[in-house]
Amino acid sequence: MNNPTLEFKSSKPRDESFLARAVRRFRKHRLAQFGLVMLMVLGLAAIFAPIISSYTFDGQDSALLGQPTAPNFKHLLGTDQLGRDNFTRILHGARVSLLVGLSSALIATFLGTLIGALAGFYGAWVDSVLMRFTDVVLSIPILPLVIALSGFLRPSLPLLVLIIGGLGWMGTARLVRSQFLSLRNTDYVEASKALGGSNSRIMFRHILPNAIGPIVVSTTLAVGGAIILESALSFFGLGVQPPTPTWGNLLTGSSDFLETAPWLAAFPGLFILITVLSVNFLGDGLRDALDPRL
Amino acid sequence: MNFSYLTRRALVTIPLLLGVSLILFFVLHLAPGGPTDVYADNPSVSPAALENLKRELGLDQPLPLQYVRWLAAFARGEWGFSIRSGQPVLETALERVVPTLFLGGTSFVLALLLAIPLGIFSALKRYSATDYVFTFVSFLGISMPIFWLALMLQALFAVNLRWLPSAGLETIGDGGFLDRLRHLILPASILAVANIASWGRFVRSSMLDVLGLDYIRTARAKGLSERLVTYRHGFRNALIPVVTIIALDFAGILSGAVITETIFAWPGMGRLFIEAMNGRDYPVLMALLMIGSVALVFTNLLTDLVYSLIDPRIRYE
Amino acid sequence: MGILARYSLRGLKMLGPIILLCGITAAQDKGGTLTVGLSYDLDTLDPYATGFLTDVSSTFLEPLIAPDENARYVPAMATEVPTQANRGIRLTEGGKKMIVTYKLRPGIKWADGEPVTSADVKFTWEAIKDPKYLGPEKDGTDEIEKIETPNPLTAVIYYNQVYPGFKSALFGYGILPKHVLEGKDLNKDPFWDKPFGAGPFKVTEFKRGQYVILDRNPNYYRKDDKGTNLPYLDRIIFKIIPNTNTIVTQLKSGEIQFAYSIPFTLAPSVDNVPGIKVIKAKTLRFMHLTYNHKNEFLKDLNVRKAIAFAVDRDTINKSLGNYMTPINTFAVTSFAFSSKNPPTYKFNREAAKKLLNTAGYKLGGDGIFAKDGKRLSLKFMTQAGRTEYETAQQVIIAQLKAIGIETVVDNKSGAALSDARRKGGYDLWYSGWITPADAIESYISFYNTKGFNNGSGYSNPKVDDLLEKAASTFDPLLINSYMTQVQKLVLNDLASLPLFESASVIAVTEKLQNFKPNPTNQTNFRDVSAWWLKP
Repeated sequence: MNNPTLEFKSSKPRDESFLARAVRRFRKHRLAQFGLVMLMVLGLAAIFAPIISSYTFDGQDSALLGQPTAPNFKHLLGTDQLGRDNFTRILHGARVSLLVGLSSALIATFLGTLIGALAGFYGAWVDSVLMRFTDVVLSIPILPLVIALSGFLRPSLPLLVLIIGGLGWMGTARLVRSQFLSLRNTDYVEASKALGGSNSRIMFRHILPNAIGPIVVSTTLAVGGAIILESALSFFGLGVQPPTPTWGNLLTGSSDFLETAPWLAAFPGLFILITVLSVNFLGDGLRDALDPRL
Repeated sequence: MNFSYLTRRALVTIPLLLGVSLILFFVLHLAPGGPTDVYADNPSVSPAALENLKRELGLDQPLPLQYVRWLAAFARGEWGFSIRSGQPVLETALERVVPTLFLGGTSFVLALLLAIPLGIFSALKRYSATDYVFTFVSFLGISMPIFWLALMLQALFAVNLRWLPSAGLETIGDGGFLDRLRHLILPASILAVANIASWGRFVRSSMLDVLGLDYIRTARAKGLSERLVTYRHGFRNALIPVVTIIALDFAGILSGAVITETIFAWPGMGRLFIEAMNGRDYPVLMALLMIGSVALVFTNLLTDLVYSLIDPRIRYE
Repeated sequence: MGILARYSLRGLKMLGPIILLCGITAAQDKGGTLTVGLSYDLDTLDPYATGFLTDVSSTFLEPLIAPDENARYVPAMATEVPTQANRGIRLTEGGKKMIVTYKLRPGIKWADGEPVTSADVKFTWEAIKDPKYLGPEKDGTDEIEKIETPNPLTAVIYYNQVYPGFKSALFGYGILPKHVLEGKDLNKDPFWDKPFGAGPFKVTEFKRGQYVILDRNPNYYRKDDKGTNLPYLDRIIFKIIPNTNTIVTQLKSGEIQFAYSIPFTLAPSVDNVPGIKVIKAKTLRFMHLTYNHKNEFLKDLNVRKAIAFAVDRDTINKSLGNYMTPINTFAVTSFAFSSKNPPTYKFNREAAKKLLNTAGYKLGGDGIFAKDGKRLSLKFMTQAGRTEYETAQQVIIAQLKAIGIETVVDNKSGAALSDARRKGGYDLWYSGWITPADAIESYISFYNTKGFNNGSGYSNPKVDDLLEKAASTFDPLLINSYMTQVQKLVLNDLASLPLFESASVIAVTEKLQNFKPNPTNQTNFRDVSAWWLKP
């Protein structure tokens, strides 16, 4: 293989500030803006759920008990087997799911980037310690751990975010580390060091932007992953406790009605899809906006 | 990478595994309930019989002592007997390793074969209709919980079309290669979906990163064929982040795919783990977790080896 | 005494044991191969050691006597059910001890052709009683003083107390073969990989996590009216399918044709499957809402009563498709002593609120009652992941909220659930119990101050005393009188609130003949010898 030489200088004029350039690039990215708008709409809908819907998320309609009802004018997305309005429950579910998805993905990205950057940059014993620590955390399968923990800790919302985020950073850490490993010995970095650039500046200003691609992808995937993981946990009865709805437990709860009431599964699934797609488009845009090489 | 590095890494794994085993042992034992709780719903089980059982299993001893005993026995290769089934733990675990590897391995290869070309193609045709379709389908794959997809595909292929069996490892009394293959199709595909989607995204992103670099432009300018540029220069360099993620998922194979195994009645490690967890079958739990940890440690070593093979810039001192 | 609802344990999404049969027609007139699946991951075939129900072992181990479809004991290997009238039961030492005599039918053989004798009965007791044997199902072993075997067909069992519950204890799961097991370590012996007994089938292969294959036992002792050897079926295969949705899928795809304990929420999906009929079978299971008497609010009888008045059974039942029958006492209607007019708490929200006012609670601005600055908020537990339970729980939460009581869901599964249940780690607990045909020993475990299953802290010395008396007499009139008083006391005290007699939804192929659901904990496979599949 030919040995590539890497260049890290921006091809754009230097006088434009980093931020201004990022904004300019982001505004050219239509889909990214669409993603941002969708996420904001979902977020606002979640916040103002009680105003948007006249039903409460745990309000049961005794006339509709027994079997789910199909979407109709009174209940736009139908009701579940307890006569609870599905639309309202999805709106309220957005609160938990968006919160869990976004914040645990951010926690994971932050932790992963920090640990990966330190390990990859300093190498030697720092790398050994941090990577062995990563290995220890990786060796603990998340589902069994949560099952074990759930006995004495109820999976409350902040705890769920901490668990999912706190156990989801290892992939990012190793990604970032591998990028750092491959970049830290380049002439460019050597040069920066020779010029007296501080370590943190070299790490976060010079090397990190080159790893932005994989980081963005793993963050966007983590959002969907966290929402789905909550669903997997509720599959085992370990997710957010009823009657609080989440997109995950709405999906799980629909499994007995896949045939008799398919809409119960379809709508929360659709909302998860919209969310992860939006996050992805947003991520694409951010990446284009932030990547110094483009 | 040299021999002394490898030796050092191998030596580091010993305290690592010790640490993992210590954490896991205490987390498992501190979780409320114990093996005897399995019988506690049964009023005809006498408290005396349960005390007897606890004594025989050594559960009445202090926890640190239990750990030391377990460790000593485990190191000697005495994995003990399952509390639930009375079977030797080693035998119990081995029975489940094979189906797990069979399912996990197949879906792994399947995902690899699809994700890499799709990702590369998507990157080359960035922002084309094909790229959007792939993006959309990827995220559809990521948005769908496994159990939901599994139940839908079972209904389609086993109930409506009757092309495939809905669950199980094999037809009882058949068990031939083709029969097993038919049973494998649905769970392996479903397990692969999420990986295809996520790996595909990583391949696409890495390729985009690399294709934007100057040396690729240089290679093109030199008049090298597009194919050579893509595969020789681009792909090889795009591999590093991809290898990292794929290796992580590879290590996960041995811990089994709990939900897929449950829905498809697949006799794998994941299901055994949940069963053992619910019954607090400590010998089986510890064995499964340690198998998982060892697998992970070796995948890590392997990953680092692969790094240095595909990127000579990575040096290990 | 026997085993209670074990399957509230170890549940993932498996929601109770579901058994499936798949019929393939055989050449002969009455026969066929049944492929049978289980909804739980069977741990061991040893019925005295398993943490699950005994569906599979019922087909290969034969008991002396067994409960029939009406939960009444009928003879199996014994010639008759011992009673005082037939001198099978004799009280000695002034009514302090008892002797039970079983006469075995002549000519019964083990599946390997060796004769079954009274020595096997004695061996079964000794093997299970042995402290080295770790199976926890040792009930009824300590009550036995000695067993004498005056001849190969007579077993005389000396009990050290009067023990009317003896029929559901010890020998209920079947007699073990002495000639194979004597001197072996019963805990780990390879016998349990391919066990056999004197039952209609014998195990050919047990693949853990996958299936159990049982073939017809050619030496089975029973014959039909025409003298044809039973069983009719050639083979039964139990397939392990740990997910109820998959079970329904397999019913539809024809891979299986029989399932029991289908979750009520899934029952409508099975209703229209061609060739499958859905049976709503009576069981001995009752659903209950149990109060933790150690809780500061629930210590007060008025609060317990308010909750009882707030619960509307009909609405809960409707939310689950009306598969259950509301009851006002814990003794299900199959039992003769089930009280016709126990103290009842008919759904009445006003009465409920009034009781809370009487108890000194004031309705707060948030719609929740409070007393001395403490909001009336309770931790509500049921089995996590079990849709039927969680659905009922949701309705009860709404009903309690309607009278101003807040509940916080705290569901658990597996060992964590058992642990919480046993130690009273809940304020309110919704669940079900399935009792054996002799239920009184079970009631002792629920309501006696020191009852093994009484984690609620309920204690009433009168109840303790009456249950003890009911458990030590054979006189049905006396039992009736004691149990009527017990029901009255337990319901006046509201130890727990009985809600429903639960049914089992069984989906079965229309081809299966002679199938009768068994309501007891001995499972529907207690007597499979007369089953056969129409071609």
